[in-house]
Amino acid sequence: MASSQPFPSAPPRPQPGFSPSPNPNPSSTADALQTLQIGRAPPPSAAPRAASIPFSSPASRFGLSRPGPPPFASRPPTTSAPITSNGPPAFGLGASRFPPPPPVAQRPPLAGSPASIRASPQAQVSRPFTGSSPSVPPPSSQPFMGSPPSSQPFMGSPPSSQPFMGSPPSSQPYMNPPPSSQAFMGPPSSRPFAGPPSSQPFAGPPSSKPFGAPPSSQPFGGPPSSQPFGGRPSSQPFMSPTMPFPGTPASSLPFGTPSWQFQTQQGAPPMPGTMQAPPRMFGMPPNMSGQPMAPFPPVTGHSPLAGHQVSTQSKIDPNQIPRPVPSTSPTLFETRQGNQANIPPPATSDFIVKDNGNCSPRLMRCTMNQIPCTGDLLSTSSMPLALMVQPFVLPHPSEEPIQVVDFGESGPLRCSRCKGYMNPFMRFVDQGRQFICNLCGFMNETPRDYYCNLGPDGRRRDVDERPELCRGTVEFVATKEYMVRDPMPAVFFFIIDVSMNAIQTGATAAACTAINQALADLPEGPRTMVGIATFNSSIHFYNLKRASQQPLMLIVPDIQDVYTPLHTDLIVQLTECRQNLEQLLDSIPNMFENNRVAESAFGAALKAAFLAMKPTGGKLLVFQSVLPSVGIGSLYSREAEGRTNVSSGDKEAHKLLQPADKTLKTMAIEFAEYQVCVDIFLTTQMFVDIASLSVIPRTTGGQVYYYYPFSVISDPAKLYNDLRWNISRPQGFEAVMRVRCSQGLQVQGYSGNFCKRIPTDIDLPAIDCDKTIMVTFKHDDKFQEGSECAFQCALLYTTEYGQRRIRIINLSLPCTSMLSNLFRSADLDTQFTCFLKQAANGIPASPLSEVREQITNLCINILHSYRKFCATASSSGQLILPEALKLLPLYTLALVKSIGLRNDGRLDDRSYWVSRSASLSIPMAFPLVYPRMISIHDLASKEDDGSLLSATIPLSSEHINDDGIYLLENGEDGLIYVGNMVNPDTLQQLFGVSSVDGIPTQLVLQQFDNDLSKKLNDVVNETRRQRCSYLRLRLCRKGDPSGLFFLSYLVEDKIPGGLSYVEFLVHVHRQIQTKMA
Amino acid sequence: MSEFFDLESQDGVRMTWNIFPGTKQEAVGCVIPTAAIYTPLKPIPNTPVLPYAPLRCRMCRSILNPFSIVDYIAKIWICPFCFQRNHFPPHYSSISEDNLPAELFPQYTTIEYESTPDTGPAVPPVFLFVVDTCMIEEEIGFLKSALAQAVELLPEKSLVGLITFGTYVQVHELGFGQVPKSYVFKGSKEVTKEQILEQMCFFMRKPKPSVGVIAGSRDGLSAESIARFLLPASECEFVLNSLLEELQKDPWPVPADQRASRCTSTALSIAASLLGVCVPGSGARIMAFVGGPSTEGPGSIVSKNLSEPIRSHKDLDKGSAPLYNKAVKFYEGLSKQLVHQGHVLDLFACALDQVGVAELKVAVERSGGIVVLAESFGHSVFKDSLRHIFQSSDYDLGLSFNGIFEVSCSKDVKIQGIIGPCASLDKKGPLCSETVVGQGNTSAWKMCGLDKKTSLCLVFDIARKDGPEAIAQPTSNQFYFQFLTYYQHNDGHMRLRATSLSRRWVAGPGSIQDLIAGFDQEAAAAVMARIVSFKMEMEADFDPIRWLDRSLIRLCSKFGDYQKESPSSFSLSPRLSIFPQFMFHLRRSQFVQVFNNSPDETAYYRMILNRENVANSVVMIQPSLISYSFHSVPEPALLDVTAIAADRILLLDSYFTVVVFHGASIAQWRNAGYQNQAEHQTFAQLLQAPRDDADAIIKERFPVPRLVICDQYGSQARFLLAKLNPSVTYNSDNPPPPGGDVIFTDDVSFQVFLDHLQRLAVQ
Repeated sequence: MASSQPFPSAPPRPQPGFSPSPNPNPSSTADALQTLQIGRAPPPSAAPRAASIPFSSPASRFGLSRPGPPPFASRPPTTSAPITSNGPPAFGLGASRFPPPPPVAQRPPLAGSPASIRASPQAQVSRPFTGSSPSVPPPSSQPFMGSPPSSQPFMGSPPSSQPFMGSPPSSQPYMNPPPSSQAFMGPPSSRPFAGPPSSQPFAGPPSSKPFGAPPSSQPFGGPPSSQPFGGRPSSQPFMSPTMPFPGTPASSLPFGTPSWQFQTQQGAPPMPGTMQAPPRMFGMPPNMSGQPMAPFPPVTGHSPLAGHQVSTQSKIDPNQIPRPVPSTSPTLFETRQGNQANIPPPATSDFIVKDNGNCSPRLMRCTMNQIPCTGDLLSTSSMPLALMVQPFVLPHPSEEPIQVVDFGESGPLRCSRCKGYMNPFMRFVDQGRQFICNLCGFMNETPRDYYCNLGPDGRRRDVDERPELCRGTVEFVATKEYMVRDPMPAVFFFIIDVSMNAIQTGATAAACTAINQALADLPEGPRTMVGIATFNSSIHFYNLKRASQQPLMLIVPDIQDVYTPLHTDLIVQLTECRQNLEQLLDSIPNMFENNRVAESAFGAALKAAFLAMKPTGGKLLVFQSVLPSVGIGSLYSREAEGRTNVSSGDKEAHKLLQPADKTLKTMAIEFAEYQVCVDIFLTTQMFVDIASLSVIPRTTGGQVYYYYPFSVISDPAKLYNDLRWNISRPQGFEAVMRVRCSQGLQVQGYSGNFCKRIPTDIDLPAIDCDKTIMVTFKHDDKFQEGSECAFQCALLYTTEYGQRRIRIINLSLPCTSMLSNLFRSADLDTQFTCFLKQAANGIPASPLSEVREQITNLCINILHSYRKFCATASSSGQLILPEALKLLPLYTLALVKSIGLRNDGRLDDRSYWVSRSASLSIPMAFPLVYPRMISIHDLASKEDDGSLLSATIPLSSEHINDDGIYLLENGEDGLIYVGNMVNPDTLQQLFGVSSVDGIPTQLVLQQFDNDLSKKLNDVVNETRRQRCSYLRLRLCRKGDPSGLFFLSYLVEDKIPGGLSYVEFLVHVHRQIQTKMA
Repeated sequence: MSEFFDLESQDGVRMTWNIFPGTKQEAVGCVIPTAAIYTPLKPIPNTPVLPYAPLRCRMCRSILNPFSIVDYIAKIWICPFCFQRNHFPPHYSSISEDNLPAELFPQYTTIEYESTPDTGPAVPPVFLFVVDTCMIEEEIGFLKSALAQAVELLPEKSLVGLITFGTYVQVHELGFGQVPKSYVFKGSKEVTKEQILEQMCFFMRKPKPSVGVIAGSRDGLSAESIARFLLPASECEFVLNSLLEELQKDPWPVPADQRASRCTSTALSIAASLLGVCVPGSGARIMAFVGGPSTEGPGSIVSKNLSEPIRSHKDLDKGSAPLYNKAVKFYEGLSKQLVHQGHVLDLFACALDQVGVAELKVAVERSGGIVVLAESFGHSVFKDSLRHIFQSSDYDLGLSFNGIFEVSCSKDVKIQGIIGPCASLDKKGPLCSETVVGQGNTSAWKMCGLDKKTSLCLVFDIARKDGPEAIAQPTSNQFYFQFLTYYQHNDGHMRLRATSLSRRWVAGPGSIQDLIAGFDQEAAAAVMARIVSFKMEMEADFDPIRWLDRSLIRLCSKFGDYQKESPSSFSLSPRLSIFPQFMFHLRRSQFVQVFNNSPDETAYYRMILNRENVANSVVMIQPSLISYSFHSVPEPALLDVTAIAADRILLLDSYFTVVVFHGASIAQWRNAGYQNQAEHQTFAQLLQAPRDDADAIIKERFPVPRLVICDQYGSQARFLLAKLNPSVTYNSDNPPPPGGDVIFTDDVSFQVFLDHLQRLAVQ
């Protein structure tokens, strides 16, 4: 992207101080750029991602004008920001520049009286990474609080102002300490951070470059050593302890105001580009310019937010605590370099992968990029060891496609002991006559026709010609041996609820229309088969194979003991019945118009459809609108019961989130056995017991779609888009997956939407690009320091076109016995997703309070471990966060407050959340928990460089103004919040009405002929594209229940029974202190 | 004998003894039971139909009739059965000797009353077709066209429904306009009426009552929910035709070594329940078209495995037909349901193999259904019979519904029961004999379906024990019967037919001549045939030949004229003279010699026997044979192998089969084509005459008989030879005359039979 370009040159620069890490932080630069460059022309890379965009066309149909596919660049990787060390740096800047200033009194405070400390948490999060080298130490790290007033660089508050003063010298550390750290900042003096926004583009100071790290490079400064970030300047204190702001800035901008935008002006030259994003996020002080202000002392070197003390909270500057920073520019990521695994960029950022041995991190990534040599080390770190595997993930369009290798009749070459597949890490020895399996260590004979001489470097000479030897991901053509039958056709069976409620709410009509339109997107060809059935208190099949005749409706009335009414002709080649089917779909809503049957035999209908599909397997798409009330697997309104039974207490409350009985589970297992995958579309206005229903999709590799409360005005578009994506996205059928790993580890468990019948494999009747499977590991032996641990995921599946393939995904990571390395290479994205899934699994099993406590403890334990073993030198008064995990507290807090873990949620909403979490991919996990919010009333004033989405606002009500309009999206729903003092012109432009009350709650976004409306549409469409999901928009007005609903997403706020972000940091800190004591 | 025909044409009744033996003991001595074969709806010309309700006796509920004693002055009538005195109601006030109501006219012993308008509007009959689809395409094609034709012929107002079945049962919702729609039920599972109500959404618009009988529009079902399945023929003709048009072979695959999965019983049960739900108590017929054995569900008769043969008589005798009893039990249950609802089951079984008529018999017979058995749906026996049902012409069946048959008798006559198409209503009373035959232990019977020809065989019991002197009084030797039949006439209105009869007792010495004078040997043969069939079915180890022989011998001993121990002196009165011949042929008939037939065929023959009148029954027992030749006008010939001659054409009517048999010479001439030459017109006429007569028989008969045209020495000639008296066999001493024939059998000839009879009778 454009933005990145500028820097390129810069990147190369070696970091001053640091040697080691070659990589600069690309991302950070990127961020920085971005901020600066708003308004730039669209990035070059904008290649349209055609394929990947699911909705593009649809949108247009609905009148959303969707611009062409947005350029890539635009995709803001929302959260990605974190990676970069930004936050800190920013401070750093200030700091750096002004290092001297405050002597930082800060520390003291911390240490001393906790109370006194302001917890200045520094938002800054220190990036553990960087500084992290163990050596780094502690001292520096603590920054947060510690940061003396001075630290407030931004604020420019005069040092003096700080109350903190007290802060111990240590704070300084930042700067000082690791010289290296400075790296970024380069010379301290340099204004790297110019933080202020942007305005001054980095350009200015050369120094800035540092950041500008080469785009491609890993953000993190991959190599351990490098702490590129070191940017420690950063250590900014999150909160500037003192609030000083006020005074400070000459500029007068009180910090408080979120108006971060202002910054721009400042552009204080001083702050060179270095400033990273953080600044912006935090609302840099506008005028920070005052370079002068810089005074603030640097806070800790690496990580650490703050060490604020408890009491101090008030002093923590909410604008400086760590927050995700989106980045927009795509980076190039090489999976391995110099025979070493590189640390992948954040999952939510935009990157292009070059597979040179390890798989793309999109396909598979690990919670830590170095594997602990022993189980003890792992447990000491308290971090989870797990892989997130998303085997069909959409690639970046610029990436090279996965290569298909055909070994002919003999099939793919495998280790004869562990059956691992040939991969780049198998070592050929003895002139190539033998090879050693990297998974089990067994010495295999090389088959004659696979023999090849070794070159002088010990590698086979043909390595580069054989994808399986040079690529982390390949596909093998499966031979007969891998088939128990001919590959199945692509079967799509639709079943639609036509009970009275479904008809009356328009759900049936919406489903029929959606299917009708989606037919066009089914794979062409004779292998695509379709069938359809409807149901209320009985099941209605349709014989579609009646040349030129109307379809014949066959009713199965026995819903206790169901059967399929015909042997053939219920599932017919699409080409043969398209007309019939279209006509039928048109007439179904009329046919049942007068239906007075309120009952719904969901389970029976499913079973009957299954029987029809049993010979082939396939996808069963169910459109359900009411609680299944009769027949097999009928349910009752447990929610009501739960309400009346409140007395039975919270102890039992979570049981309502468990399936009501085992019938559906038993059915689901049978479905899976016959390769039937069920997706359920719940277009409902009532309780439908998702806890029970979701068992079926979960077991069969499907998913639940939830439209609540269903509205015939706003939902059909989403329904159609979801359906269309469901059937047209890349997917595989009748799949079996197994993950193997090197000796020393063993698979502990799988988690996701699948059926498990034998311990080693999981069965996936269908697997698609949106599904992620979590695989956890445990040690059963030790690794040697310096060795590598390999993971190999093998997925045997059938393509939509009937080919049987084996997709092999390899990842080989170095082993370490250093705890600090673990923290440095920790992957926040993966870990957090892992926590999310663990929480989701725990919700139905144990009382909510326990789940929340567990999650919080996970976070505390990790931070405690880091604090205890890697940051020992810092004051106990400081909260020190490992750079890589600096956002962990924020996400943990958000997770604890998310719908699934709130007791006030509707049962169904919570169950849905749980079921959605189960298969959620990493990039989608973040918005679910920490939605993205942007302001839209001022869109017109932002530059249109495709990065509109990157200007996110923290999820705090402080950032919400009454005269603003905001869009908050969690990957599935979009809430448009309209304040009560919005300029009527703006409303007129966006919604075509001039008063808030005039906007319908069931919002259908229209495009009006004005810039603002166009941009809003662009934003929405871009979001849809990124999320592969059609954003369902809902209007929230201030002062109305919908407004409160919106506010419930602002996870940083204090809510009854829930801590604010700052309070949470304090809480975490206190817990750590307790443990340390 | 002609007086018996006169009696029959007046009242539709034939009795074995038209003068009753006066005491129980004598009745036993008469050997042949006192019985009557009554045809309730026999068309009787000039029978008045009275547009008012009948007058009933206060005491016994019998109806005012010509035998009642009327006191015109006091306006009182005395019931002949119970002697109760009844006052005439006011509207009879003008009654006088010169001004009699029709029911008192002596010639109107049989009279009909038609319901007055207050009994409700005419109810259209309902036809529910239940169609098997497990057949080869060719058969389906035949069936389709036959059904299409039937649909055209359906009475306009009648309601129609359609169910098809194979592996599954499909109930077609004819009233759903938008797409063809059907409910599919699993064949292997029984479906109750409650399930039908529930699963087919009959309570769509209202809550289901928690208790109570639910059925029909009177009982809370909306008319439109019923009209989904049963529609006036005129409204659904198009839908029905298009459905029939598309009728296809059951699509479920059948392994080569298996029979098709056919759930006849489930389909019938669903049909019955559907009618029970929709139109309980009003006339409706389930017309089942079955093309093979039931292999699925409770009424299956054989397993699917082709290696297992369908049960034979031998299997039934040995008890080695494992499914038989279960199936019969199921159909007994079904028959109860049908009788309760007043609905009829008709069976059209067309297959080369058996389909389970033997098991279904109980349901068909109790409900008064029609049964037709043929080899193929393309065969004229089926096609023409089906047409016959709906065609309105002189020969139409006059299908009526929902009949109730009641009997009143004078004291001392009791009813053992009825053998025929009816079901007991369990109305017990003094009239019921302790001995039970057929449907007994009641004085009222349900006849869900009946037609002009339906004939019941009532078996009486003489209960009088008094000495003969009591009978001497002429006043007391008259006694009376009254048969009452309520039914839904095919015009939809309810009618009541009342037949009142009087007979007299004789007793004591000298009564034998009176008894002989009143003996109706044809009726006796028909009754014996029904009884022997019934006993064969009901009594284990029953030896029909022995029973018939003993009966005949005893009869001859009692009524014959002979000197003891002198066979040559034996002679019989003309009133009895043909009876031994009937018995001889009955012994050889399909009713007794079952081992030549399958259980299905036997059941079929018996069902027809049990609903036919005396004349037709006699044809079944002893076929009629007519000879055509140049030498004489067509004349009846002896049913004997000697009737065969080369220059004769024989026309055999054995009821189920009509055979036109050309003598060898006739066949040669015909093959030479003489009949086409002008100079041989007489030959053409000779050829044509038996054909015309056969057509006449076929036209009026239902089920339509099978027409066999054959030549002497041809293979089809067996249809004739099997029925002839084997007076000349392969080992006879005297060879047949030239052009004659022999029968390859060891059976005794009539002459031998008669010799034995005489010898035994005189002992």
